[in-house]
Amino acid sequence: MRELKITSVTLPTFTLVLSLLMIFLTPDVYSADIGNCLLCHKYPGLSRVDEKGKLRLLYINEDIFNNSVHAKVKCEGCHLDIQKIPHDPAKKVDCLAECHIKEPSSEQKFSHKDIEKTVAMSVHSKYDKDGKEKKFSEDLPTCKECHDEPLYRPISFFKQVRAGISELSLSRCKSCHKKEDFIYKFYNHVTSRMHRTRNPLNIAESCSRCHDDLQIIKRHNLSAKAAFSYGETFHGKAARFMDERIPDCLDCHVKKGDASHLMLSKENPESAIHEKNKGKICASIDCHPSASPKLAKYGVHSEFSLDRSPAQYYFTVFFIILTGGTLLPLMGIILLDLIRKLFPNAMIRRRK
Amino acid sequence: MKNLFYKFYIVGFMALTVWFIVIIWKVTFAHIIEEYHTRKEAIEIAKIKQQQEGEMKKSTFQKLILEGDERVKVYLGYKILEEKRIKGHFHHIGFDIGPDKRSHCIMCHGDMPHDNLKELRAFLNMHAFFVSCQTCHMRLEGTAKTGIYKWYDRASGEIVDSPVKKARPGSYVAKIIPFERVNGQLERIDSQDKIDFALEFKDKEKTLTEAQRSKAKKMIHQVVNKQPYVCEDCHRKDSPLLPFSELGYPKERIDSLTSTEVVGMIKNYTQFYMPRMLHPGETAPKEIQRDGTESKPTTLTLKTKQ
Amino acid sequence: MEKHPLIKIKDGKKYFYRFTLNQRIQHIILAWSVVTLVLTGMPLKFPDASWAPYLYALFGGIKYAPVIHKAFGSILLILFVYHVVYVIYLIYKYQIVPLKAAGKKNARNILLAFAKQPLVPNLKDAYDIKDLMKYLLFFTNRRPEGDKFTWKEKFDYWAPFWGMVVIGFSGLVMWNKELATMILPGQAINFSLIAHSDEALLAALFLFIWHWYNVHFSITVFPMGKVFITGYLPEELMVEEHYQHYTEVMKQAGLEHEILPPHGSHEVNQEGGHTL
Repeated sequence: MRELKITSVTLPTFTLVLSLLMIFLTPDVYSADIGNCLLCHKYPGLSRVDEKGKLRLLYINEDIFNNSVHAKVKCEGCHLDIQKIPHDPAKKVDCLAECHIKEPSSEQKFSHKDIEKTVAMSVHSKYDKDGKEKKFSEDLPTCKECHDEPLYRPISFFKQVRAGISELSLSRCKSCHKKEDFIYKFYNHVTSRMHRTRNPLNIAESCSRCHDDLQIIKRHNLSAKAAFSYGETFHGKAARFMDERIPDCLDCHVKKGDASHLMLSKENPESAIHEKNKGKICASIDCHPSASPKLAKYGVHSEFSLDRSPAQYYFTVFFIILTGGTLLPLMGIILLDLIRKLFPNAMIRRRK
Repeated sequence: MKNLFYKFYIVGFMALTVWFIVIIWKVTFAHIIEEYHTRKEAIEIAKIKQQQEGEMKKSTFQKLILEGDERVKVYLGYKILEEKRIKGHFHHIGFDIGPDKRSHCIMCHGDMPHDNLKELRAFLNMHAFFVSCQTCHMRLEGTAKTGIYKWYDRASGEIVDSPVKKARPGSYVAKIIPFERVNGQLERIDSQDKIDFALEFKDKEKTLTEAQRSKAKKMIHQVVNKQPYVCEDCHRKDSPLLPFSELGYPKERIDSLTSTEVVGMIKNYTQFYMPRMLHPGETAPKEIQRDGTESKPTTLTLKTKQ
Repeated sequence: MEKHPLIKIKDGKKYFYRFTLNQRIQHIILAWSVVTLVLTGMPLKFPDASWAPYLYALFGGIKYAPVIHKAFGSILLILFVYHVVYVIYLIYKYQIVPLKAAGKKNARNILLAFAKQPLVPNLKDAYDIKDLMKYLLFFTNRRPEGDKFTWKEKFDYWAPFWGMVVIGFSGLVMWNKELATMILPGQAINFSLIAHSDEALLAALFLFIWHWYNVHFSITVFPMGKVFITGYLPEELMVEEHYQHYTEVMKQAGLEHEILPPHGSHEVNQEGGHTL
């Protein structure tokens, strides 16, 4: 009997952690779904194709949602205009809306407005310095272009650093705090904030949605397929082998200490990747502390392309010709040798 | 004998060498050719850019249908979540349910066929996810009627055991299909004959004359009833259409399907209307004010599940 | 020399001495480190291949595989340096010193001594390749009569030799990027990466297909050539590949009357008597 194919691959080492997690993840622990929306929205088939041919999937995976940073937010906290069943056509969720959750240190209602302000100062802003709308501003990202629902990525610090929740740490929390879902959420929140909420690969993937798009590259005169070329470097490849310590896009493109939404153009002297600041990225204390500024001249985003990196292109072509030019004739000889051995005594007879 | 072995070995090695040649080609010269084509494509894009600033919509099948179906892996450290990425979709899906490869209705009508009733279309599509089209859109009468329904696997089409207890509600890899009685024999309603007929029609559609085509379409849709079964034919306590317990539903689930769930949903909202669900047959949506005194149109009466 | 006779007779079969123990050990270290380097390096070259994560995991994944790669890279580089010193020493001891003794030591003679090394490509190789093509294309039934080292072996020697220079240098640059970029421009790392990975791919495919075919998988040697372990090559292979050298050695040993006709190995196949 085939089971429902849940293709979330579980790393064998952490199955135990996961199973423990699942115990915590029983739906009753969290009850963001006060409106009982999941009564219908738990069905994966709840969907339609809209007039523009776009798939509108109305399904919520409760397990995953409960493990997301928004788990405590009620559905109605974001989907403000849904008030009856069947729903009227709903507006798109506005990430800048003030939310019911209060920020504990200031008791202010929580909102992502500050992030919007930061983005407006960054290279991704829809408006230029003078407040004029940029050309092709529709290409520039809004929240959801880069973010899908952020999921907790807890880490365990108990004697050993690893991914997942440390049940030993949790047991220590429990000695003072009694509410299990509070402990669980707090643990997730804090430890997820101690590192990137996204794996380097996922960061590169979200950047690649635009920065590997040839049309967008052309329209905005970008110099490279950014995420793709990153994937060709050792950093990118190590990321593909699940190295979490490896730098991703944000590590180099955002100045240390700045908000990661403050991505600046390389022409901006304040930018981390500006010619005069570049050296400091590589020589960061966590990376290559003894590196000279010259190391930063390394072409991270150079790729096999005659347009964008001609020197590398010809150098690679030389090796390609060397490789193919050596191996293919040799393969031909092997093939001929095999044929010759199949008919060892055959010979084209020539007249004397 | 030894000789024969030699020959086999040599021929085998020849095949291997050819494979090596292909690999070597792929890792060497193929790259140069590929780069050349991407470069040409980039020039192409630049040209289009000049022609129609900002607007370039390639309406090819590739662009619209195939490229929209990306897959993405979310690396959480302790596990990896792999799912389809729907552009602009915020929430995670988390799993896949393969397409229904059996149904011959879906071949033309698609997996999400319900479009007309604005209030209900998503609901109906949700049901179409685990209930075959024939279950609602055909009414078996007389001797054909059996009252027997079974689950079939979405991928293989074979009749399988009930998936209800093994999966979350609605996320089954199987669908419910009715059985009919043909000449005293019990037969699933989407018999191979019917599927073959539809397939052949699809295959030869272009070569048919107008009359032939209409006739074939009529024959295929002959079994479809103008009056499909509606929500309350199943979602009711007394003699629901589907034999839930035989389909493997546990008692609690039956209870919630036939009453509590619907009632619970109504209870949680002061404003509620679901015309066709409660009053099938009526055409215009009609508001039902359950509790006039408490009604505040903008706020919700929130009740927890407990 | 007493310990290693040029021709050893075992069970009535003749074996010809080709590689000293020192050379065989060098070769095994080379082979062992190259295989490890390829296994720990190729997953990085093809990270998207389905086998890559599994192969990499076998070597400890991203945490340990690069360390193993560097360790074996170092072994290979040390071996390379040792080998170069070893070869120059041998030439000096057995060829330059006698020259000196004879009072003929001048730059021209020293260069000649180097150029006449058995592994240095020469005109005969070009003729051998031509003759081999004739043979492979059924124009003749005579294989080229190879000298001590045939053109294939010279290829097998010089290709990795050049490869080790390129891969070794670029590898060192990438390993010590901080130090290297003190002198070299940052772009040097880009070029190193291209040279390192592309040349490594060439070397790996060359060794695992071409070299292994010639020394192991060709039906005349299948399933495994043992000369790299024993140092001795069986007579039939000697006849097939190194006929010229074979007759010389046989004559030296005073076994002229026992010299086999060329292509003796084909008789094995003639049982079936298949001809076109």
